[in-house]
Amino acid sequence: MPFADEAITHLDALYRGAMRLTRDPEKAQDLVQDTYARALRYQHSFQAGTNMKAWLFAIMRNLFWDRFQKNRQEDVSLDEIGEFGLFDRMRDEVSGEGPEAAVLDKIARNEVVEAIEKLSPLHREIVMLVDVEGFAYRQAAEILQVPIGTVMSRLHRARQQLQKDLYDYAVDSGIVPTIGRPN
Amino acid sequence: MAWDCEDCVRRLDQMVDKELTDTDVKLIELHFEQCGDCIKRYDFQQGLKRLIKVSCEGERAPDSLRARLREILQR
Repeated sequence: MPFADEAITHLDALYRGAMRLTRDPEKAQDLVQDTYARALRYQHSFQAGTNMKAWLFAIMRNLFWDRFQKNRQEDVSLDEIGEFGLFDRMRDEVSGEGPEAAVLDKIARNEVVEAIEKLSPLHREIVMLVDVEGFAYRQAAEILQVPIGTVMSRLHRARQQLQKDLYDYAVDSGIVPTIGRPN
Repeated sequence: MAWDCEDCVRRLDQMVDKELTDTDVKLIELHFEQCGDCIKRYDFQQGLKRLIKVSCEGERAPDSLRARLREILQR
């Protein structure tokens, strides 16, 4: 497949990735457009037969960090939120049938997107790459230029934070009835 | 040595991401056979991962952007 034809097949994925990163439709469109412009300019450096989607995502996230996040934040320390497992928290606090996976069906999709958008940029990025786009740890590590251990710890923290936010939402909206919620 | 809940919980991320070695998958499944709680934890984590994916993947790029990019790419 010619370069341009293959590149355009990844447009929807790049756009939703850009939406997660920038959280703004106009910025997302600009970011995607600039990503394609740069990809076109550097297409000679793309090795045919390798993963073009990963290559495009690497270009996009580098543009994003150069442009929007001049001060690259370090990972938020886990100490701030502590180890948080939604499942165990619900098992301890929720009355009734308990925290079966079915509870997740009651959480609206837009709430999940909102919870992702509340994450720090580094955490939004890893969730987007691994959970939404399905990149393997090794691929995510290559895209981000970090060791696999960093991918894993970032992902773990992101999921912890996400679960905490979704739990708060589930309680506040009455999706899960609680038995005396400790502060 | 057989794995306990702690061994299992520590590897849940890798399990749902299909990043465990075959040997480790066998060890975790061995633990699942005797631990309903860990099966539920796993189902829950897997459900969360799926929920994240379906919540985001429906989004499509606007047609105007697609048209603009076709122009850029065909130059």
